[in-house]
Amino acid sequence: MSVTSPPGNMDVGGFRWGLRAWLDEHDLSPGPDHSLDAQVAQLARVRRALFDADWMRYGWPAEVRGLGGPAVLRAVLGEEVATRELAEPGIYSMIEVLAPTMISYAPPALAAEMVPRLLSGREQWCQGFSEPGSGSDLASLTTRAVPRDGHWVINGQKVWTSLAQFAARCVLLTRTAPGHNGITAFFVDMDTPGITVRPLRTMHGVDEFAEVFFDDVVVPADRMLGQPGDGWRLAMDLLPHERSTCFWHRIAHLYTRLDRLVAETSIPDDAELGAAYLALHTVRCRSHATQRRLAEGERLGAETSVDKVLLATAEQRLFETVRDLLPGVLELTDTPWRSEYLYAKAATIYGGTAEIQRNIIARRLLDLGRE
Amino acid sequence: MDAAERDLLAETLRKTMTAATGQALDASLTDLGWAELLAEQPDIAVPLTFRLLGETGAHAPLLNDVLLNAAGRPVGGTLPLPYTGGTWVVWERDDSAAGTTLDAELPLHTVPAGPPVPLAAGRVALGWWLVGTGRAMLALARQHAVDRVQFGRPLASFQAVRHRLAETFVALDGAEVTLVAATDELGALLAKAAAGQAALTAARHCQQVLGGVGFTAEHDLHRHVRRAMVLDGLLGSARELTREAGALLRAGGSAPRLVHL
Repeated sequence: MSVTSPPGNMDVGGFRWGLRAWLDEHDLSPGPDHSLDAQVAQLARVRRALFDADWMRYGWPAEVRGLGGPAVLRAVLGEEVATRELAEPGIYSMIEVLAPTMISYAPPALAAEMVPRLLSGREQWCQGFSEPGSGSDLASLTTRAVPRDGHWVINGQKVWTSLAQFAARCVLLTRTAPGHNGITAFFVDMDTPGITVRPLRTMHGVDEFAEVFFDDVVVPADRMLGQPGDGWRLAMDLLPHERSTCFWHRIAHLYTRLDRLVAETSIPDDAELGAAYLALHTVRCRSHATQRRLAEGERLGAETSVDKVLLATAEQRLFETVRDLLPGVLELTDTPWRSEYLYAKAATIYGGTAEIQRNIIARRLLDLGRE
Repeated sequence: MDAAERDLLAETLRKTMTAATGQALDASLTDLGWAELLAEQPDIAVPLTFRLLGETGAHAPLLNDVLLNAAGRPVGGTLPLPYTGGTWVVWERDDSAAGTTLDAELPLHTVPAGPPVPLAAGRVALGWWLVGTGRAMLALARQHAVDRVQFGRPLASFQAVRHRLAETFVALDGAEVTLVAATDELGALLAKAAAGQAALTAARHCQQVLGGVGFTAEHDLHRHVRRAMVLDGLLGSARELTREAGALLRAGGSAPRLVHL
């Protein structure tokens, strides 16, 4: 087998070996510019190169120009991308929620046309879920979609929309009727008149999130994802993807940071270093078990809240350890640690807060009844 | 052994452990074929048996057998076991040595240092026992939270109580997957550390949720709390092992990835 082409068979070991050999020969390392613009450009470059060499196509169905094979191949690819620090793992992993949504809910022709643009890095997309009045209580969202002359007209506001300022399309949740069954999803072109994007300044200094305003935005009826009222189910169906493949990528990224800390620290606090490692090892073992259950066809559910709590806890513990074992570094020097440390503060907020996860565990896994 | 056979074995073990403890349980397990099961299928025997010791609150001197078996020696005897703080203990096979440790049911007493023992096998066994003990505490606290009414509502309806129990659940589930993944020395070390930490987390939160009744001698909680504390110290406490893991990282210069897709 040539190292310049992917393996013909789909076994994970062969895929990983071939991928590593290919990456050894094709340097996709990022340049010195760490600005968000540069990160997004690098992400597109990495996706395009991996797509053109077919690696990015494994684990996706043929309907969207994938080459098939188990989804775990995408986790292996993302782990390699994260371990080699080729792309920022948070924005790299966005395909893992956006593409499966399109495959499951978009009209097949639309998915076939659009998903390859995302996988190949030709487009960035975003996900319009949270609103100023709907954070943890996502189902209370109020961005309205109203039918008019065979189209839908959308009015409202989204917030915490990652990469909206770079995105060509948006998977958007709207309200079409009251209650959980009154949420409807659309696939919206971001250049549609009436859409305004305003990047948010955040405490870690990377403006990757944005507010998005919708003023009489007209969307064709064939851009609806699923049926009217399917939006909540669509949002819930994201979780297995987010909590398997995306988590595996993030864990791989965190191991690189622990390695870097071990290399840089001169403080022999083995107890704190060991605790950070133990927390990471624990979530890696948990995520591994979750990937295996997914591969065996199990339907993932509330138990992935355990993965989420373990991951957020491990991430924050790691970066507190960084601060403790590199004293003064992130306070006094211009170092990437500073932004990463601050970003870790969000780990118990995004993707369902630590409190929401514990509520789910109490209600669904411990069967404690209602609050 | 298929799933049905495993379930049957688990049921038999649970009944046996509910009926007897200590020396009598040791004898019952010998009659059931513990030695053969350990020799032939340790990957099934150890997790199942030790987790059930924790869940039922029974005890037996089986850790000796796990270490003797791993060392290729005949089972049924005892050997000196390293304990936290640089001390060593023997876990006697008869009950007459009981009464001196924090968990007065366990027949442990201190001895001079012995030769090295195969730590990994013993740490995994103790890890399963600690997780089982943690699950026993969680079950007691959960039932109390559901049954006990204050201010006209079950305790389980208060978010502060729910979150303590959820935290316990996460710790135990996390420890359990590290035990499943423990296939080498470092994996066993980390798994014992995770299990010890999870059991102590369970002890802290469950004690609090159980309130006054959990502090009485007539309630079972204190037996599990004592057991968790004593078992945590055996073959290295969570605190010691975590520090050892940190030292290994510094010595090796990077963090080993122990499980792979």
